[in-house]
Amino acid sequence: MSSTKRYWKDLGDLHQDPEALKGREHEFPQEMSIDQVMGDKSFAGASTGRRDFLKFLGFSLGAATLAACETPVVKSIPYVNKPEDITPGVANWYASTFYDGEDFASVLVKTREGRPIHIKGNPRFGINRNPALDKGSINARINSSVLSLYDNERLKGFMMKSGDGVVSATKDEVDEAVTKGLAAAAGAGKRIVVLTNTVISPSIKAAVAELKAKYATVEHVQHDTISYSGLTNANAKSFGARVMPSYDLTKADVIVSMDADFLSNWGSSTEHTWQYASRRNPDGSMNRHFQFESRMSLSGANADERTAIKPSELATAVISLHDQIAKRTGGTAVGGGTDMDEATKRAADALLGARGRSVVLCGSNDEGTQVLVNSINSMLGNYGGTIDLANHTFFKQGDDAAVAQLVKDMNAGSIGALLIAGVNPAYSLPNADEFKAGLAKVALSVSFSAYADETASLCSYICPDNHYLESWNDFMPKVGEYALAQPAIRPLFDTRQWGESLLRWSGNDSTWHAHVKGTWQRELAARGGMSVAFEETWNTAVHNGVYSVGTAPAASPAFSGDVNAAAAAARKAAQAGEWEVVLYTTEAIGDGQHANNPWLQEMPDPVTKVTWDNYVCMSPADMLTILNSDDFRDLYIGEASPAKLVKVTVGGVELELPAVPSPGQKSGTLAIALGYGRGANGERVGRAACVTDHNGEWNPVGRNAYPLTALNGGAVSYSAAASVAFTGGTYPLAITQTHLTHMDRHSVVKETSIGVYKAGDKEAYNKSHLLAVHEDVNGDGAIDARDKKPVREFDLWEEHPVEGVGHRWGLSIDLNSCIGCGACITACNSENNISVVGKDEVRRSREMHWLRVDRYFSSDTQWAEGRAEGRSKIELYRKMEVPSNSPSMVFMPVMCQHCNHAPCETVCPVAATTHSNEGLNQMTYNRCIGTRYCANNCPYKVRRFNWFNYVTEQFGEVNPAWDDLGRMVLNPDVTVRARGVIEKCSMCVQSIQAGKLEAKKAGRPVKDGDIETACSAACGTGAIVFGDLNDKTSKVRGLATSDRSYHMLEEIGVQPNVNYLVKVRNTEEEATA
Amino acid sequence: MSLAARISERFPGLFHASFAFLLVFAFSSAQAQGFDQALYDKGEKLFRGNCGSCHKPDKNLTGPALAGSRTRWEGQGDIYAWIKNSQAYLKTGNAYANKLYEQWNKSVMTAQAVTDEEIDAILYYADSFPGPQQAVVVDPTPVPTEPTGTAAWPWLIVLGLLFLVVSISLSGVKRSLDGAVREAEGRKPAEDRTILQHIGNWAWNNKIAASFIGLFFVVWLLLQGWNALWTIGVYGGDEVAQNYKPEQPILFNHTLHAGKVDAGNLAINCQYCHSSVEKSKHAGIPSTNVCMNCHQAVAEGRTAEGTAEIAKIYKAVGWDPEKLAYTGEEEPIRWVKVHNLPDHAYFNHAQHVAVGKIECQECHGPIDEKMDVAEQWAPLTMGWCIDCHGQREVQMAGNAYYDETMARLHNNEIGHRELKNYLEDGKITVKELGGWECAKCHY
Repeated sequence: MSSTKRYWKDLGDLHQDPEALKGREHEFPQEMSIDQVMGDKSFAGASTGRRDFLKFLGFSLGAATLAACETPVVKSIPYVNKPEDITPGVANWYASTFYDGEDFASVLVKTREGRPIHIKGNPRFGINRNPALDKGSINARINSSVLSLYDNERLKGFMMKSGDGVVSATKDEVDEAVTKGLAAAAGAGKRIVVLTNTVISPSIKAAVAELKAKYATVEHVQHDTISYSGLTNANAKSFGARVMPSYDLTKADVIVSMDADFLSNWGSSTEHTWQYASRRNPDGSMNRHFQFESRMSLSGANADERTAIKPSELATAVISLHDQIAKRTGGTAVGGGTDMDEATKRAADALLGARGRSVVLCGSNDEGTQVLVNSINSMLGNYGGTIDLANHTFFKQGDDAAVAQLVKDMNAGSIGALLIAGVNPAYSLPNADEFKAGLAKVALSVSFSAYADETASLCSYICPDNHYLESWNDFMPKVGEYALAQPAIRPLFDTRQWGESLLRWSGNDSTWHAHVKGTWQRELAARGGMSVAFEETWNTAVHNGVYSVGTAPAASPAFSGDVNAAAAAARKAAQAGEWEVVLYTTEAIGDGQHANNPWLQEMPDPVTKVTWDNYVCMSPADMLTILNSDDFRDLYIGEASPAKLVKVTVGGVELELPAVPSPGQKSGTLAIALGYGRGANGERVGRAACVTDHNGEWNPVGRNAYPLTALNGGAVSYSAAASVAFTGGTYPLAITQTHLTHMDRHSVVKETSIGVYKAGDKEAYNKSHLLAVHEDVNGDGAIDARDKKPVREFDLWEEHPVEGVGHRWGLSIDLNSCIGCGACITACNSENNISVVGKDEVRRSREMHWLRVDRYFSSDTQWAEGRAEGRSKIELYRKMEVPSNSPSMVFMPVMCQHCNHAPCETVCPVAATTHSNEGLNQMTYNRCIGTRYCANNCPYKVRRFNWFNYVTEQFGEVNPAWDDLGRMVLNPDVTVRARGVIEKCSMCVQSIQAGKLEAKKAGRPVKDGDIETACSAACGTGAIVFGDLNDKTSKVRGLATSDRSYHMLEEIGVQPNVNYLVKVRNTEEEATA
Repeated sequence: MSLAARISERFPGLFHASFAFLLVFAFSSAQAQGFDQALYDKGEKLFRGNCGSCHKPDKNLTGPALAGSRTRWEGQGDIYAWIKNSQAYLKTGNAYANKLYEQWNKSVMTAQAVTDEEIDAILYYADSFPGPQQAVVVDPTPVPTEPTGTAAWPWLIVLGLLFLVVSISLSGVKRSLDGAVREAEGRKPAEDRTILQHIGNWAWNNKIAASFIGLFFVVWLLLQGWNALWTIGVYGGDEVAQNYKPEQPILFNHTLHAGKVDAGNLAINCQYCHSSVEKSKHAGIPSTNVCMNCHQAVAEGRTAEGTAEIAKIYKAVGWDPEKLAYTGEEEPIRWVKVHNLPDHAYFNHAQHVAVGKIECQECHGPIDEKMDVAEQWAPLTMGWCIDCHGQREVQMAGNAYYDETMARLHNNEIGHRELKNYLEDGKITVKELGGWECAKCHY
């Protein structure tokens, strides 16, 4: 090393300043010596000497220690008058109904000591009930809705506008003012518009009618945040009924989805999921599913054959499909579209092979395209079979044209009063600014929103609606199907059901409950033929949550649309461009009304695994192009590798968002999720829709993409030509699975095709893992590498006596029925008090979810082939990391595998994790000292460490359990974990214990199906099955011993109690993954 | 705790005796002439059996006070017919009867199968209530408290002191003798040393023994300290000096309500109040309306204090004992929880009582015998829990759930082996079926 280099402490040292160097010879600086400090005059008079000081110190320490030993006094306050049906410590379940304009489900609400704490699908009644499994199908938004009840940012009472802000007002004040305002508007002959989402409640319709009876100028405009106007208008043109039909996918042997994500959000999705899954059993008659789409959607991931197309090519693809079928069924061909024939031919062949037993679904909101799809279904004879128009749904009655007209009229000043319920047009309309301008010109505007959100904060009055768990309500989802919602708790705040507000303003003083009951009595009396007294019918309906009055016979109405005109319109509406943007809704956030729910924000997106943000999905190849790179690793997003920011421009509207590589996305398309960017102007829209970043700035989560939508041909269009540019900036994303492929490890996921499966050779699709042994196993007289035994026969540890003794709880997860929706994740959150940790912690891989759904894209490179080609190892691994351009995709729910030979148990120094004789791997929080050895030794990486006390103010913004209100959602049977301990899936041991106790009390064995874990109960598709593996007749045992069953990472021999069933795709060719 | 309460706790008999004495004194002067004890007793028995739920002798309840009713009916009608079947008597159109019926909110009195003599007895009882206070024979000496485990230590101290005195005097004698011997031998008398010096000397001369003893003391101290630390924050049990017995907002007497009849108590089944014990994890503190099932009628305690406590129930539930009506002003009773488990421990009463067939007293102690104020009897430590789980036999008989458990054990090889292990001590304990596993109580 060069001796000329000098190291210096400070400038004084560098310049050898004598003043600065004075006193440097001392070890410590002398100028602040203790003498000087103690020399302070004020100390001179102090009588406390050093010894006294130490005595005081000792005494205070002792006193504090003693005081801390005292156990606090706990009060126990019983009811004064105990309600008959409440037993403290025992959960009550109430049937109710969830409907928010987007999703519909019959649900059961679990309450403990009067607090709703958990929601699951109604296993006995409702259109979302899977009759084969006795489970109600729901999604993550529905079972997370219990949390929004306890959001402290809900409005606590009525509000009115005063100056620039809103102030509290009493109900009477508001009622008086609104009644006056309505009378004034009606008196002046101005229109009073009730703007709502699709209303399927007979009682609300009756309330609107009452308002109309009082004020002649009342009119009802329905508006769906995610519009289906194209579809309903097409049905009006094709069959004269402006409705969304019922689809019965259980009858469909072939499903062709033209960009309809029917397993996630499209249509009556809670119904579609179970119907679809019931036909995905390879041992039964498996359906065949074709998907044409631009981005990788949940439906696309599950499809047997998936074709990526640009949104502008959708019309062409539909025309191509239409003409191929028309030519072979004698229908009218419209011509053109032949350039897509290659892509659609196989779908057309399959459809024609299953006439009347097939269905074509289309997610486009373009009327012309939908008319063509109707024509296809009509030609195939699907009406009356898989599609039921006679028993149509009442969903999605919104009319974009009427809303557009309303905005114009508001600006023209012809609207005297606007009452807004269930929608948030100032946030979600394509022309939101125009709407806001118009709203300012409306003399009386009332919002029924529970929050002072984007629209409500602009209204003259806010009359907050009850949460649905606090409300009576009724619904008519389909012809002949009624559903009831009953309150599971008294209103927490001074709110009022919005229908009741309408009644008040119509001069009707009855309660909402009386009104709903009255409406039913009238409706049922009008139908006639009630066999029992109304009161009895009503009580049964409240108990069941559902009342069916019988369905109409299915009909196959004649198609009367003009296909040539439709084709022309469809072609005209398609906006082709070098780049095209696709706007979609995610499984977690949906249309944005639940963006304030922390459970949903932290639920990873099923495909991209991103939490707490929206982003631009791009094909990886496109991203490399705009980044000007050829290394796939440049696309990696992780804790230390932020995402690249891109700017998307659509018709003058710019949006800057991080880009996420999404394998399977059509090149040249950009997919952006709607529903984010709530509260961008500082509106208090709820707990987690906005979060404070580490700089203390208040930020909305994601960006609002609704401004990119546009009204096109009478309906809102969710795709458009766009341009995109890399801004050079970066943005941190919280992503829970950073790798894309399973690197050719077939012991993780196993996938095969129906052909291979039906051939019946288990070893061909579910190869058991063998280890070579030093004995002559195969009996060929020589001991060599061919002498192998299955891994199962090797025991490194002493065997746990669980097989055949007592219970042995296990889960079986069918990769075929798992559609990846994530309802199990939020159900687990709710049941097990799992902490929400926020974006920054997730970014550091500290998410606490006990259950994750891994997703794997297939890669074009496989180990065996690569080796054969003579590639180097490093090169091979790198290639295997890269997913295919048109990958197949597998979802795999992973929770603690409850290994009988658990590696975590042997390394715990304090025996905090142990094995039970029922096959459970137990985690004892009060023993855990937080060494995290177990997490390191877990081959499945399912153990989670509490890095912080997540239920403290530090995480208050995202963690619901922080405040007194949010804490009410906690399950009292499950410990809330503190900092410094490991936690993981317990296989819902609290439910197991409760189920066993029920059986013991009743003096009977545990019946199969008595006990459900939160995830298995939430899984309406039946992918997750829980039960007793020692019960020879149990369903889980049957599955675990079936040929498709395998253990993840079987070769390590940990003998899990969770098994997986090989994914079987309904394709003829060899599986690629 | 007040001084009086402390004294009464220490000498439970004392207050009882003095009160009884006062009562006897107060009532002896009011004793009526020509009192017929036999008739009075007969009347009391009949009254309790037939009338007590709606009437009181001296106060209005659902029906009017019975005392003086014969006088009130004088010349108004036939009281015997009225009592035997009031509804029938009303139909006769008797004006007074109809007036009474209106006055008492048209509450129907059920027909009574009593004879005229019995009615006479009842009315005699009511008129002469409370009668000459029965001579409560009270033993004036306080009931000796049972010797407890902690009572042995004073004796040990006395013994120790005695030993000390003896040894000091002996050493004194020894020193005098020693001095005398030295004097006799003409040697210098020994230095006058203190005991400490003696001990020091001895220790110096016997280093090994001294360090051994010292080590013993240090270890002993550490052990004591360690044990003491384990009991921090744990109420009750023999290891801890005092059982947790917080002062409750209402001085509810468990012994009085649940104790045996022959001891003068009411012998109400525990589950009458703690009704969810077989259904829920909580035994359940009864809601106030359960108290009112009895206390709507029982407004007075056996002592003035008791009556005051009952009044607290009325305040809580909003009951006006004068008007015999609910006021609607409710104020929940804030009981102090006696048995506190940490949050991470799950305990289920139903499991133990309904399935395990454990008597309440096994964990809660003699709550029906000598627990006027509820206290924590068991230590509720994990050691205490698993001790029981390790010994207690599973109640399998007649429960098909366990039949299935046994069938599985019998049906395979591993099961057979396990069963043999289980039955080594001739019984299947809770532990053997997994009762010592963490996730049975911690989740």
